[in-house]
Amino acid sequence: MKLGSFLSILGSVGVAALLSAAPARAEGKTLTISWWGFNGEKLTQFQVDPFKQKCGCEIVFETGNNADRLNKVKIRDGAGVDLIYLTDAYSQLGIDDGLFQKFDASKVPNLAGSYDLGKDPQGGYGPAYTIGRVGIIYDPTKIKTPITSWNDIWRDDVKGQLSLPGITTTAGPMMVLIAGAHAGVDPYADEDGAFKAVEELKPSVVKSYNTGSELVNLFSTGEISVAVAQDFTLAQIQAAVPTAVWADISDGAYATLNTVNIPKGAANPDLAYEWINFLLSPEIQQVSAENGIDAPIAKDVKLTPDQAKQWTYGADMIASLRQVDYTKLNAAKQGWIDRWNEVFGQ
Amino acid sequence: MKRFAGWLLAAPATALVVLCLLVPVAATIATTFGEAKGVFSPYIAFFGSGFRRNVLWRTLEISLATTAISVVVGFLTAYVVVRSPGRIKSILIIAAVFPLLTGVVVRSFAWLILLGKNGIINDFLTWVGIIAEPLSMLYTQGAVIVAMVYLFVPLMILTLVGVLENIPDDVVQASASLGATPAATFRQVIFPLAVPGLIVGAVLVFTGSFTSYATPQLLGGERQMMMGTLMYQRAMVSFDWVGASTVAAIMVVVTVAVVLVMARVARRLNPMAT
Amino acid sequence: MKPRTSPFLIAFAALVYIFLVGPLVIVLGAALSDTTYLTFPPHGLSLRWFEKIFEVGAFRTTFVTSFQLAFLATALALLIGIPAAYALNRYRIALPSWLSTVFVLPILVPEIVLGFSLLKSVTVGAGAPIFPTLLIGHTLIVLPYAVRVVSASLASFDFSVEEAAISLGSPPVKTFLTIVLPNIRSGVIAAFILAFITSINDVSTSLFLTGPGISTLPIAILAYVEQYFDPTVASVSVLLMLLTVAVMAIVERTLGLTFLTK
Repeated sequence: MKLGSFLSILGSVGVAALLSAAPARAEGKTLTISWWGFNGEKLTQFQVDPFKQKCGCEIVFETGNNADRLNKVKIRDGAGVDLIYLTDAYSQLGIDDGLFQKFDASKVPNLAGSYDLGKDPQGGYGPAYTIGRVGIIYDPTKIKTPITSWNDIWRDDVKGQLSLPGITTTAGPMMVLIAGAHAGVDPYADEDGAFKAVEELKPSVVKSYNTGSELVNLFSTGEISVAVAQDFTLAQIQAAVPTAVWADISDGAYATLNTVNIPKGAANPDLAYEWINFLLSPEIQQVSAENGIDAPIAKDVKLTPDQAKQWTYGADMIASLRQVDYTKLNAAKQGWIDRWNEVFGQ
Repeated sequence: MKRFAGWLLAAPATALVVLCLLVPVAATIATTFGEAKGVFSPYIAFFGSGFRRNVLWRTLEISLATTAISVVVGFLTAYVVVRSPGRIKSILIIAAVFPLLTGVVVRSFAWLILLGKNGIINDFLTWVGIIAEPLSMLYTQGAVIVAMVYLFVPLMILTLVGVLENIPDDVVQASASLGATPAATFRQVIFPLAVPGLIVGAVLVFTGSFTSYATPQLLGGERQMMMGTLMYQRAMVSFDWVGASTVAAIMVVVTVAVVLVMARVARRLNPMAT
Repeated sequence: MKPRTSPFLIAFAALVYIFLVGPLVIVLGAALSDTTYLTFPPHGLSLRWFEKIFEVGAFRTTFVTSFQLAFLATALALLIGIPAAYALNRYRIALPSWLSTVFVLPILVPEIVLGFSLLKSVTVGAGAPIFPTLLIGHTLIVLPYAVRVVSASLASFDFSVEEAAISLGSPPVKTFLTIVLPNIRSGVIAAFILAFITSINDVSTSLFLTGPGISTLPIAILAYVEQYFDPTVASVSVLLMLLTVAVMAIVERTLGLTFLTK
């Protein structure tokens, strides 16, 4: 075939591609949501479609992880999306940067049904819709003595078997808090003391992980047998290593809350409030928990022990969780990241 | 007239680069000079930190090593590919592309399988009896280099195939018929003619590995931090775009310097090369 | 008679190919494994992770977007890059020497800085819609391949053939198409392949330039592995490999059976 004909084919493919790539014109109101974008089918079935029917509107998504999406909102100066899902560490960053509007709780009656710690975790900028925890997962066939406390990860039998969350992940900076507690110091006041404990941990760490899949691969190939991790990874790790368990830590796991916030440049804040109310409603909270979407923040959700075991669930468990003061943490974070790099990087 | 024609042909590409790259990126880098602490304060902070100087040095080491290895391996392999019979040649070229198409997540999994404590290589070495304890090969500088070479050898092969193909056979045969040994023909005829392609490839490999992020992140982690991971951390975790742009500006300066040196070397080896 | 290629070199090349292809075997094995996590050798064989790809809506839509983007960006880059490469070689003396560096700039700038800068200046600053900015970003990052690889091929082209044709009355454009282009076919194909693959795989530039409703496949995969750790990620890789090879095969066929004749 001649070059000329090839070029014209390329040209027409190009034009066709360009035409079909034009975004669909939205008729009526459109709610633009920024979220992670996984669990797609379940979310569509249990949340997106029912809401679309209720409100008669279109929903468009911006997807990605916390950092990318928050960065984009920042560059667009608080515009572009009506609602953004973030983990609390990142929503605190957004709040500090003045990217979100103040949250009007009166527009969300279903808020009353949430656990207290989720109602207004960050000074009036939006509620939590789900809760998780950071703890320790380990394989008792490799680590014979049970792990019952955060201090146990400094044990000798853990050497060369451990993975910690990367300092840039949600759970990462919590390690400094944990190290501080181990050393008996306040990490905000005595950074050196806390990092001394982190250094002691160094020979035990094989690698830090930055994504859940990395963690599962480390477990499944036998590179590690202990990790500090969030509970949503447990089910997947157990699929690869059936003997893996969630450690029963006496000094308390750390709570992680996912929040929904409304950026200050939102085009459709009213729709956003409708969605939040919908998300916090007892029916949706129940259905989401039962179908593996999110742990419930609503108090009245009833789950069987089987359904509950993958979630952070139950008044007692939630009461036992430790919370992080993100305002303080975010202020110290950059310094901690640099120090962490220096500890592990040389 | 010639100058006009030349500029006209090069104009669209030049315009795109200037408008959509130079201007926006210059604007971003300009922000690094506007800090309250001083015009050069972010740069002073960078070079003042032993850790960060280390990162720069390590990145240079790894990228130069990757480039050297990829160039040699790629060149020799491309040479063989170009001289293969037709059908095999096509298959070899297509096969060279596959490594580039694996996502970084599965690739790092594959390296885990190969180089891990319970991995294939360790199992083999233990079985053969060369070692007693598994070697810790992952998360070392070597692992990062191997993983990067894996990505860049295909790039070299593809770049060089186009170039080597255009070296006319009669030139090579003429050289042989004039009594030159195969080695001499290679050294004095083929190699100089291949220099443009070698330099193009070397530049692409060096800059690619120097600015690399995903592979060092997964294969090296914090133990083997490189400029790319450092910059990414600044930008995406701390939202410190001034800090990230500082790292980026330093990266650009270093890569430009290295590229200029390579171009100089190229001109010495083959005066007709760009 | 072509001088025989040394058997040592052939053995070396074989080893290199084993090195290149080895991990792919692992990826393929993991993609076929009947487990919910990545493992090799596979435990049981199943195609379910390939089926899963089509079930994930995000993969379906971004597959299309990524291929569109790759085609358009590569075509654009070649369209403006080949003339630039030609100019650099033919009119080398008339043009400043720094001009060739201009076309290499996109790879010197770290990609996330490029994406970030484009988002700020073009999307936010100039109010451009998302897809065009994404396209500009991709065209920029593949332009160096279009220009430099083609240029390297042109470096060994004997322009006197072209000049002879022109002096015999052949119009310049026709001369270019019928005399110059066919001789640098391998270079153009290599450039096409490298550009296409770079665009398909790109993460760092696209990270900032995607927006509501528009995302690319590698980014969708990254988001996926943040929560799902199953072999779908391996099967997507395999599918991507197969599709790209199909594209390359078509390209090779349409541009003539270069590798078999030259």
